[in-house]
Amino acid sequence: MISLISYLLISLVLFIVGLVVMISRKNIVAILLGIELILNAAALNFVAYSRFVTNNLDGHIFSLFIIVVAAAEAAVGLAIVIRFFQIKETIHIDEATQLRN
Amino acid sequence: MFVQLLFLLSAVLTVGCAVAVAVTKNIMHSCIFLLGSLIGIAGLYATLGADFVAVTQIMVYVGGIVILMLFAVMLTGGKDFASRAQNLLGLAPTMGNKWTYGIGLFVGLVFLLTNIKLLSSIMKSYPEKTFGNEFPSTVSQIGHLLVKDHVLAFELSSVLLLGALVGAAIIARPRKQ
Amino acid sequence: MNQTLVSYLSQYEFYDVLLGIFGKNEGLLAFVVYLLFAGAVVGLCATIGGLGTYAERKISADIQQRIGPNRVGPYGILQFLADGVKMITKEDVMPNTADKFLFYLAPMLALVGVFATLAVLPWSSGFMMADLNVGIFYLIAISSLVGVSVFLGGYASNSKWSMLGGMRGASQIISYEIPVTISILSITLLAGGMGFGTILGQQLGTPINWFIFHNPFAFIAFFVYFIGALAETNRAPFDLPEAESELVSGYHTEYTGMRFGFFALAEYIEVFVVCGVGAALFLGGGNLPFNVQFDIIPLQLFQVVIFMTKALLLYYVVIWIRWTFPRLRVDQLMSICWKYLTPIAIFNLVGNAVWVVVFNGKSIADLVFGGH
Repeated sequence: MISLISYLLISLVLFIVGLVVMISRKNIVAILLGIELILNAAALNFVAYSRFVTNNLDGHIFSLFIIVVAAAEAAVGLAIVIRFFQIKETIHIDEATQLRN
Repeated sequence: MFVQLLFLLSAVLTVGCAVAVAVTKNIMHSCIFLLGSLIGIAGLYATLGADFVAVTQIMVYVGGIVILMLFAVMLTGGKDFASRAQNLLGLAPTMGNKWTYGIGLFVGLVFLLTNIKLLSSIMKSYPEKTFGNEFPSTVSQIGHLLVKDHVLAFELSSVLLLGALVGAAIIARPRKQ
Repeated sequence: MNQTLVSYLSQYEFYDVLLGIFGKNEGLLAFVVYLLFAGAVVGLCATIGGLGTYAERKISADIQQRIGPNRVGPYGILQFLADGVKMITKEDVMPNTADKFLFYLAPMLALVGVFATLAVLPWSSGFMMADLNVGIFYLIAISSLVGVSVFLGGYASNSKWSMLGGMRGASQIISYEIPVTISILSITLLAGGMGFGTILGQQLGTPINWFIFHNPFAFIAFFVYFIGALAETNRAPFDLPEAESELVSGYHTEYTGMRFGFFALAEYIEVFVVCGVGAALFLGGGNLPFNVQFDIIPLQLFQVVIFMTKALLLYYVVIWIRWTFPRLRVDQLMSICWKYLTPIAIFNLVGNAVWVVVFNGKSIADLVFGGH
């Protein structure tokens, strides 16, 4: 019952949902939530391939690095969000227009 | 059988909570649904025999990232927060009519089928391979891999984390007046 | 190795008899065994949590030269049952403006986070539900759910006191997780594995083999772990999240009845779990103080008694500390964590690593008495 394709389907759904969250939300924190979902979809793929296709644990290592990168990204991203809120008093993504023109 | 049960429950938790992240209006609830989704993914890792990755997932996300996100939501709950709450259902009517959605769905379906056809040779039921018995567990195997094959990435990730730590502290610090 | 309760029991003959009763269905029998053991552990821990409230009152009364609860049952020992009945029958009040979903979810998350840690707690060398090879790492990871629940409880109540308590609680828990985890990491380094079976297997025999006496760095690591664990479980002198003189009762101000009971129960069980982990990692857990070549069930029960004794002694110290030291300020709390405990913990980690390399993993006792 459990095969590679079932994991890939779950990963696909996660990726699409993450993309939709990134596109449809205007709140910067919510966009970060979408990014987390996308990163997790990728990590799940790595581990699934490592289990079913290759015979080693390199996929596990990759997903560990993805988790590390996600942690760093969340820390810096949320710091930027808080800084942005101190300046603009909102975290609406459309307000981030200082670099326009 | 229990592995299949765990897989089913984790898959339902993952996908359901991920969809809930997209459709919930309240950002706080979205964070909690993200938490559920991430725990579900940890369960999926467990069904794949990746115990160390599963626990790392719970450790980093539950103990760190989700709490950070909750903090960020709480610290930035501005006055125009509720009025601009926007989600998938609120956005859907503004992105197109039934024709555009229909065409998008059709194109997506064709694309999906093409990909499945192309990838079908890969997907063809790989036999479950067992890991070599050289190491007693994935933990020691991962440890050996990290300090042998992937040592450069391992060291670089420590530099990345240090940079992120310092950078986040500097960026979020209140400006001196 | 992933040894489990079932694989331990299956070496005895009565397990085959049981297997015959269940019609050779190994999965079903394993499920039933796990279910029974889980029920026993949860019941035991709930009792310990309940008795913890009683012990806390009685010990505090001793310290303050009072009598303490003495009405219900002999010496007031049934007081916790009376409290439980009171909590269950109380009206369940929720603030009007509370976030219903999160308000209901928070106490459940606290209980889930704490009870999930019991799956790997080593009661004895055989009686642990699963000796995962990521055991202690799993325990740290899953117990961080408590931090989320504290935060959510504070947020969802929509009350200023709860909010302040929740913020303090979450920041305190995620800060103190760092020295605690690094201290545990240094023990992992000495043991060469994260499973409780591996860690306990290295501490067999007399107390001189315990990891706390392995080398000076491990000795310091125990105290770093213990102080950090006090803060992680929101115990005095680190009970800022529920400081009753400032914040009414912090993140569970608005909770009544059994929901409050869940929070309280989770807190007391978490203290026990933390003490049990301290006993297992540093004080030899349930290991017998002498070497035996055979393994029978009564011996395992004796190990459980030893483990419980060590854990409850640490529990006593926790209560003793609570009624002896004054509460810290928030800035003192954070400076203790980041300026003192974390550097000391990192120093310990490096020291342990150097010790393992230089002395080839031998403890002081091995070096002095010329062990293996």
